[in-house]
Amino acid sequence: MSSSAICVSHDSPTLTSPTANMAAAVSSEDFNTLQLLLKAPSKDAVRDVCIQSHRGPSRRLAETTASTLSIPAAQAAQLVQSLHRLSHHVLFNNLSSPEQILALFPESFHTSLKNLITKILLENSPTWRTDALSDQISLPQLKELDWRVDLVTGSDSVSRMSVPTCLVQLKMEDPCPAAGGKSISTVTVELGRESLDTILDGLGRIRDQLSVVAGK
Amino acid sequence: MQLHFTKDVLPDSVSTDFQNLNKLNEQFPRLIEILFQFLLEPKETEKFMQRLSEFAGEHGMSAGPLRNLMKSVLLVPQGALKKNLTAAQIKEDLVTLGLNEDKAAHFSQQWGEHYAALSRHAVGQTLMVNQLVDMEWKFGVTVGTSEVQKVGNIFLQLKLVVRKGNSTENVYMELTLPQFYNFLHEMERAKASMECFS
Repeated sequence: MSSSAICVSHDSPTLTSPTANMAAAVSSEDFNTLQLLLKAPSKDAVRDVCIQSHRGPSRRLAETTASTLSIPAAQAAQLVQSLHRLSHHVLFNNLSSPEQILALFPESFHTSLKNLITKILLENSPTWRTDALSDQISLPQLKELDWRVDLVTGSDSVSRMSVPTCLVQLKMEDPCPAAGGKSISTVTVELGRESLDTILDGLGRIRDQLSVVAGK
Repeated sequence: MQLHFTKDVLPDSVSTDFQNLNKLNEQFPRLIEILFQFLLEPKETEKFMQRLSEFAGEHGMSAGPLRNLMKSVLLVPQGALKKNLTAAQIKEDLVTLGLNEDKAAHFSQQWGEHYAALSRHAVGQTLMVNQLVDMEWKFGVTVGTSEVQKVGNIFLQLKLVVRKGNSTENVYMELTLPQFYNFLHEMERAKASMECFS
């Protein structure tokens, strides 16, 4: 499933049908459509369309592309979708060398355009990969951690005391909140000394296990 | 009456109760033992009542008056805990209330012996807001996503169990490796800070 189908919070106001990025191979029809890019006024225009299509189909993008390339809106929409399928195919399969990407194109494809598209895809892949990974589904992610240590000097059960206590505030961001839900949540917890020791014990064990995994 | 353990004016029945306490001789230590058992486990009220009833039965007393007597006696250690009284101060108060020297000495000696445990318990009763009760964790490797077929990122998931009033709430979160190391580092700093106060 494309991420734009799952998270309604993403950009495009009008979503066309969800595109399954991962499995969809790039068809010969897609490559035919890509040759519409030959009508682009400049290399930068090609670059712009490629980059913007990666995010997801949008009517606005189709309209802009239609006017830049002087093609009908319907064709522009198809072009955007084909580019989208291509860039996501490259991303999914981690095609990282020119040869791997060039091999996707049919023999008859316009050579210079093929080289340009390949170059654009290679340039942007690292960013797209980082974005995809930071956008992936996950539990709410810890964004910020603050703490404070207080000395409790009295309470209703003991009027004079001197006991340290620790307050920890955790700010979490949910990358995909449910509709109507908030994405940032804050939890403040209080820990006594023993709890803090127990936590450190647990965290220490995690660290040890992580170094075993990292060592492999 | 100048008392250490309370500033309140006590009802007359309290003096009467302490004078009645003087009448117990061999039974006094056992009664005080029952009292301290309750102070160390204040949630076990039923056990306390049961032990008092048994005691009353064994010594030919009525359970009801004995319970009322103990309620008065309890005022002293409960107030003393709040005010961090010493054994000497508690003995003074008991004598002021009418308990004879020997019995007051025995009581305050028991107080001294149990003070550390009683204190810890009272401190433990101190209000904690959103107390962290438990932490569970798991970590693993993300192998792939719908966007990227092959990945190899380590993730860590934490579940914190937080006490909110009478129930608990679970908080789930995910951390990347750098966030985990930061979390560990910050908790170590917090612990160092707490140790300054011990």
